[in-house]
Amino acid sequence: MVSLILEGLGGIALQRKYLLIGVLLALIVSGCNMKGTSKEPYHVVYSSEEITEQTEYQNRSTYKIAIVPKVMNIPYFNAVEQGVMEAGDDLQVEVIYQGPSVANARQQIEVINQLVKNENIDVLAVSANDPEQLLPSLKKAEQMGVKVITWDADTAPEGRSFFINMVQDEALGRHLMDTLAWNIDEKGKFAIMTGADTAANLNEWLYWINQQHQEFYPDMQLVETVAANDDPQQAYTKAKELLAKYPDLDGIIGNSSVAPPAAAQAVLEEEKVGEVAIVGLSSPNPMNEYLKKDVVQVVTLWSPKKLGYLTVALSKQLAQGDLPYDNQEISGVGKISVMNDTVIMGEPIDFTKENVDQYDF
Amino acid sequence: MIFNYFRNRKLMTKLMITYILVTVIPVSVLGYIAYKQYTMSIENQVGQYIPKLLEQANTNINNQLNDYKALPDALYNSSQIIEVLRKDAYQNNSALFRDEFLVNGILSRMYMTSGNSDILGVFILSKNRLFQSTKHPEINVNIEEFPSFLGEEIDLKGGTEFILPNQVGLAFEGDPPYLFMMRELRDYENQENLGTMFIAIRLNFIEQAMQGLTQDRDPTIWLTDQDGRFIYHSDPSMIGKVDAQFPHYPKINGSFRTTDWINNDLVSSYKFPSVNWYSFHRIPLNELMKDTNVVRNGTIIAFIIIVILSSVISVLLAWNVSSPIKKLTFLMKRVEKGNFKVDLPMEKKDEVGMLAKSFNSMIQEIEYLIRENYQIELKQKDAELYALQSQINPHFMYNTLETICYAVEEDDKEEVIKMVTLLGRMLRYSLNNKEKLVPISLEVSHTEDYLTIQQFRFEERIHFSLSINVDQKNYVIPKFILQPVIENAIKYGLDRCRNINIEVRMKVNNDKNLLIEIADDGPGMEEAILKKIQLSLHQNPMLRDSQYGLLNVHARIKMMYGERYGLDIESKAGSGTVVYLLLPLENNIERKGVS
Repeated sequence: MVSLILEGLGGIALQRKYLLIGVLLALIVSGCNMKGTSKEPYHVVYSSEEITEQTEYQNRSTYKIAIVPKVMNIPYFNAVEQGVMEAGDDLQVEVIYQGPSVANARQQIEVINQLVKNENIDVLAVSANDPEQLLPSLKKAEQMGVKVITWDADTAPEGRSFFINMVQDEALGRHLMDTLAWNIDEKGKFAIMTGADTAANLNEWLYWINQQHQEFYPDMQLVETVAANDDPQQAYTKAKELLAKYPDLDGIIGNSSVAPPAAAQAVLEEEKVGEVAIVGLSSPNPMNEYLKKDVVQVVTLWSPKKLGYLTVALSKQLAQGDLPYDNQEISGVGKISVMNDTVIMGEPIDFTKENVDQYDF
Repeated sequence: MIFNYFRNRKLMTKLMITYILVTVIPVSVLGYIAYKQYTMSIENQVGQYIPKLLEQANTNINNQLNDYKALPDALYNSSQIIEVLRKDAYQNNSALFRDEFLVNGILSRMYMTSGNSDILGVFILSKNRLFQSTKHPEINVNIEEFPSFLGEEIDLKGGTEFILPNQVGLAFEGDPPYLFMMRELRDYENQENLGTMFIAIRLNFIEQAMQGLTQDRDPTIWLTDQDGRFIYHSDPSMIGKVDAQFPHYPKINGSFRTTDWINNDLVSSYKFPSVNWYSFHRIPLNELMKDTNVVRNGTIIAFIIIVILSSVISVLLAWNVSSPIKKLTFLMKRVEKGNFKVDLPMEKKDEVGMLAKSFNSMIQEIEYLIRENYQIELKQKDAELYALQSQINPHFMYNTLETICYAVEEDDKEEVIKMVTLLGRMLRYSLNNKEKLVPISLEVSHTEDYLTIQQFRFEERIHFSLSINVDQKNYVIPKFILQPVIENAIKYGLDRCRNINIEVRMKVNNDKNLLIEIADDGPGMEEAILKKIQLSLHQNPMLRDSQYGLLNVHARIKMMYGERYGLDIESKAGSGTVVYLLLPLENNIERKGVS
């Protein structure tokens, strides 16, 4: 604008030099504009915040997560391992799946100590064989900067930040009782086979089995509860003993995953198929044949693969500093619910001869 | 340097520059700054306000997206579908078709007939089977047609991905742009892949979310992913293309504007809360400034008019000052060259008028002084000439007296008396000096006296004749203009020749001037000498030399009557000389009246 006027004046009176001065002045006046053009194509008018792109790279720093089961080499924990490995692969974390060869606290403590000492792990996830005995070593791990959670079987709350439970204990316990009741018409004698009698989760379920029994099934009689320490051989022996001891036994509830197959094997061998109903917790794969032969009526379980996957997913999340929250959607698992410091994975699944083929664990 | 340069400029230029410096520039700079500030404040206002709207819209879109993401979860509620999806192999075709019928039906009930109307179609690709349900059942996609890259080899790691519009070769009725949501169906229990679910979602929901932004103005709105690919654009044909400018945009939640010379846009951007998507809102600044620009243009026009008017006025003012000065300079140059007949007409009473007035009076004063000076000089000259003209040559006196002496010795009384009488008359004529001009008759008789005396002295050697053809009484001529010329002729004539004949003729010529011719038959003059005399006549009549008498006469005539009059000589060696005296014909009475 200024230059225009100056040009106009230049035409009237000024000579070339003044025109030059005029143009110069115009440039000075519009100097602020010039700055913008020469430097950047865009001039920021207002910025509420800089955008930091959320890239996957930020999550790439690999975490080392140790998953410790109660015992190695039983189908249930093998299935968990599959889930753990899959999650490790999916979520790009390094996972160590290591547990005692026998389901007791002492050996498990050793494994934990070894892991904490040697492996420089970020998160330790334990399925505890004993809620109290593990505490010192878990606390030690915590002091070394390892975040500790429990899954499958809990410890005392002070030993971990949260516990991943598969199902609600009360619902599961009562459901197990119900499944037996359906199959023996709510009357008769029955026995319960459990795992390690120190395992917190098993005892919790046992409690609710008994509650349901006492509240709703007066005609049923619990003859004995035996512990088999999650050892298939021991469980088999105990089952045989039970059958021998109580010839008029109507049903067996397996409260740990090794119990139903052991009981089924015993019943099959004693040729008591149809006389003794077997229900309980077990994976569908080992029970497939028994279910189809009507040796076992119903087994109940959750997906141990899913449990393994969830444990790794939540461990990684914890390593990043986030706690799980209610109704959280976990990729590959679905929605979880959280009550206080307990994560509940979902509902139990009943496996029958009709649907058992759908499951692979 | 600039100041020196400026100092030496013309006054008008200076005035103009000063005017521009003092008025035009400050006003335009102020106006410019004010306008700039105002537009900047509008820019800032809008720049802060739009991102907030974008954030709101983004949140809405994001919520909507989350809702869409949750859509596949419904599948898990149908154990029938999960059971079918878990199947690996079929014994026969009918079993496969039964399952397809079952799943397609459930999908249709679940997604098509109820729920969101923006869902165009649902597809499940599972173990080489394709289950589908679309808005328009006639669109039936074959598994072979299904874009191969969407197959099961994609490992989504349990997550959801969006395939952006126009990336899939599937078209729905009306060809609406759509977002293709891809979700891995995970068998949570078995931790296996059940297949992949695809949901085509119309982009209407984005448009709806952006409605709040398009109410009053007509901006361009678009969404891009982190590579700058358009997910949504106000111009549907752009969807699916890549924004080449995207990498250059400032990575901010906020607003920025382009910095071209003209036609700048204000662009606002906001990142989505959870995905690497960005929403953009672009509006030309012109549109924002529409109202302001009307005011601005009005102001500019008014400003230009004022500037032009005031420039014209200032030019006139400057011209008013400088033009009289220029004129003055011009006149001064003329005065410098000797022309005092100048006048600077000026009626104004301001400084310039005063200057002109004093210039005029100064010129008058100078002219007066010069004239006075000139006249003093003339008077001095006059006095000098007066002294000169009253001289009677002492030589002549001596010679005459000697002749008288001889006559006394010879006792020729009559001759003595005559000569003394003539001499006495001559002396009286020369003493009577009060009048410069005398009637011709007096001068003629004085000349006659002189020649008669010379005749007494040289006897037969001198002859003379006078022929006067003018009115001797009434016309006047300067005193003593004839005698020096005749004296000269006698002196040179008798030096070389034995006899000399002198004729004096007076007449009025054609121009009504008095022409006096003094002719002799003496030796004449060499051409060179004649030239020399003529040159000195023209150049400097006051020079004293041998031709003093002639020059004296010439100068006096000139001084009295002006350049037109004077003395001229015509001569040729051996054949005499003629001296012409040209004088105005001056009446006795006239002259008296003047002096």
